[in-house]
Amino acid sequence: MQFGIFTVGDVTSDPTTGRDPTEHERIIATVAIAQKAEEVGLDVFATGEHHNPPFVPSSPTTLLGFLAGRTERLILSTSTTLITTNDPVKIAEDFSVLQHLAEGRVDIMLGRGNTGPVYPWFGKDIRAAISLTVENYELLRALWDSEVVDWSGKYRTPLQGFTLAPRPLDEVAPFVWHAAIRTPEVAELAAFYGDGFFANHIFWPSSHTERMVALFRERFTHYGHGTPEQAIVGLGGQVFVRPNSQDAVREFRPYFDNAPVYGHGPSLEEFTAQTPLTVGSPQEVIDKTLSFRDYVGDYQRQLFLVDHAGLPLKTVLEQLDLLGEHVIPVLRKEFAVGRPVDVPDAPTHATQVAAARRAETEEAQS
Amino acid sequence: MTRLAVVSGGLREPSSTRLLADRLTAGVEAALRERPVEVTMVDLRRHGRAIMDAMLTGFPSTDLEAAFDAVAGADGLIAVTPAFNASYSGLFKSFFDVLPEESLTDMPVLIAATGGTDRHSLVLEHAMRPMFSYLHAIISPTGVYAATDDFGAWESGGLAARIDKAAADYVRLLTSCGQRDRRDVFTEGIDAMSRLLNGPDRTGPAPRE
Repeated sequence: MQFGIFTVGDVTSDPTTGRDPTEHERIIATVAIAQKAEEVGLDVFATGEHHNPPFVPSSPTTLLGFLAGRTERLILSTSTTLITTNDPVKIAEDFSVLQHLAEGRVDIMLGRGNTGPVYPWFGKDIRAAISLTVENYELLRALWDSEVVDWSGKYRTPLQGFTLAPRPLDEVAPFVWHAAIRTPEVAELAAFYGDGFFANHIFWPSSHTERMVALFRERFTHYGHGTPEQAIVGLGGQVFVRPNSQDAVREFRPYFDNAPVYGHGPSLEEFTAQTPLTVGSPQEVIDKTLSFRDYVGDYQRQLFLVDHAGLPLKTVLEQLDLLGEHVIPVLRKEFAVGRPVDVPDAPTHATQVAAARRAETEEAQS
Repeated sequence: MTRLAVVSGGLREPSSTRLLADRLTAGVEAALRERPVEVTMVDLRRHGRAIMDAMLTGFPSTDLEAAFDAVAGADGLIAVTPAFNASYSGLFKSFFDVLPEESLTDMPVLIAATGGTDRHSLVLEHAMRPMFSYLHAIISPTGVYAATDDFGAWESGGLAARIDKAAADYVRLLTSCGQRDRRDVFTEGIDAMSRLLNGPDRTGPAPRE
C-alpha cells in the first residue's frame, strides 16, 4: 500500500497571526513539504491544479519536474490534472518529459475539478464537461498507446499522423487515476478503462465514498478487468496530529473554524464524526485511517491533506515528522494484516513495464 | 400504504404554520378514507443549523439526510411556510435549496402558507407554486392560505372548509398519481456515462492486464 500527501495549493491567511503568505512563499513551501515527505518515508506527493487565486499550482508538471530533481524515491503525481480544459496532446507531452526526468516516478490523476469560469479561460464549453472528459481521455489514451495517431473528435482539431514526442519512458504511459468528489460518471470512466479510481473522500461523508467505491468495483468487474477486489482504489484523508490529542484539537481549531470549504459551518467535532478528518494523537489517526478499509475494502493508495487552511510551514513539517515516525509504519503493518493475496498493489512504473514485457512475450509466443 | 411527507417551516413553538400543517395532514388522512397512511413530519426549525451547515459544506448531517430521505421517498408532500416579505421564509427556501436534485420530481404537492393578514395570500401563487414547478413537482390546484384572523373565525366557508376542500382536491391528485418511484440521480448518471462510453463511435478499449 502506498501512503502520501496531496496538496490543494491554497494561499490562506494564518488565522492565529493574520499573516498572509505570498504566492512565492507558498510555492517554495510546497517544495519543502514534498522533500520532507520523501525524507520521512512517504511514497507519494501529489499537487492539485488550479487557475485562480487563492491557489498557486497552475502548472503541476513544472513543480513536479523541479521535485524530480530534488527527490530520489518519491512518486510524483497530480490531484488532479484537468482532463476537461487541458489539451490532451499537451498533457501527454508534459507527462512524457516528466517521466523521463523522474526515471518513471510519475503517475497522473485526472479530474474535472473545475470551477465554472475556468472553462472559457481555456476556450472550452462547460456545458460539454462530461463529453469533453470522455473525448479528451480517449485521445490521451490513443496518444500513449499508439505510435502514430490519426484522430478526429468533436471538441478539437483532428490529428493526422501525429506521434507523441518524446514517447513515454519505456513505452509505458503513467498509470492513470480518475478522481472524483461526487460524480459517479467518473467512477464509470475509470471502470470502463480498468484504470485506478481515487475518491477524494475529504470534506464529504464516508457514506458517499462507500457508495462511489462500491460502484467502481462493480463496474470494473462488469467491464471484464477482474474481480471487484482487484480494482485499484485510492482515498484521500485529512489529518492534524500532535503527540497529545487535546493539543491537536486546541491548535487546529482556529484553522478549522476559518478554513475555506468548511469554516463557519459545522463544528470541528461534527465534521470529524462525519468525514475522514482526524484531529488528534497518532493512535487516533491510525485507528480512523484503518477504519476506511471497513467501507471501501482493501485499497492501494492513501493520500493525506496536511498543508491547507493557512497552517504555517513549520507546523506542516512537524505533521510529516509525526506521520513518518508514528503513523505510517503502523498503518503499513496493519493494512497488510488480513490482506488477501490477490489484492494487487498500486501499479508503479516498474510493475507496469514488467507487465508490458510479459504481455509482449506472451504475444510473441502465441 | 401511502407515504406522506409534511414539511413545516414554522419558526415558533407552538407555531401556527405547524398547526396548519397538522390540520391539512388530518384532512388528507380523512379524505383518504381509512386507507393506510404513513406520515413523516419534518419541522424545519429543528434542522435550522443543519440546513445552513449543508449549505456551507455541500452535504447534510445524518438527521437532515434522514429528513431528505423521508421527503424523497414519499408518495406526496404537504409543504407549509410562513409568509416573509412577500415570499416563503428563508429557512423554508433553504431546505429545498439543499434537498438533493430530483427529490421532488413527479411528486404531488399540497402547498399552504400562513401570514399576519390575508393581504399576503398570493404568496402561494407568486412564490411557492413557481418554486415547486421548477422542482418538477405536480402542484395541487388548491392551496391554503391562513391569516391570523382565520384562526379566530369559524363561520362556514372559513378555514376549516378551505382545508377540507384543499385536502379533497389533493387526495384526488395523490390517488391518481399512485405510488411514486424515487428517482436515483446517481444511477442515472452512470447509465448516461455508460451510453457515452459505449456509443456508436466508440469501440472501447480491450481489457488490459
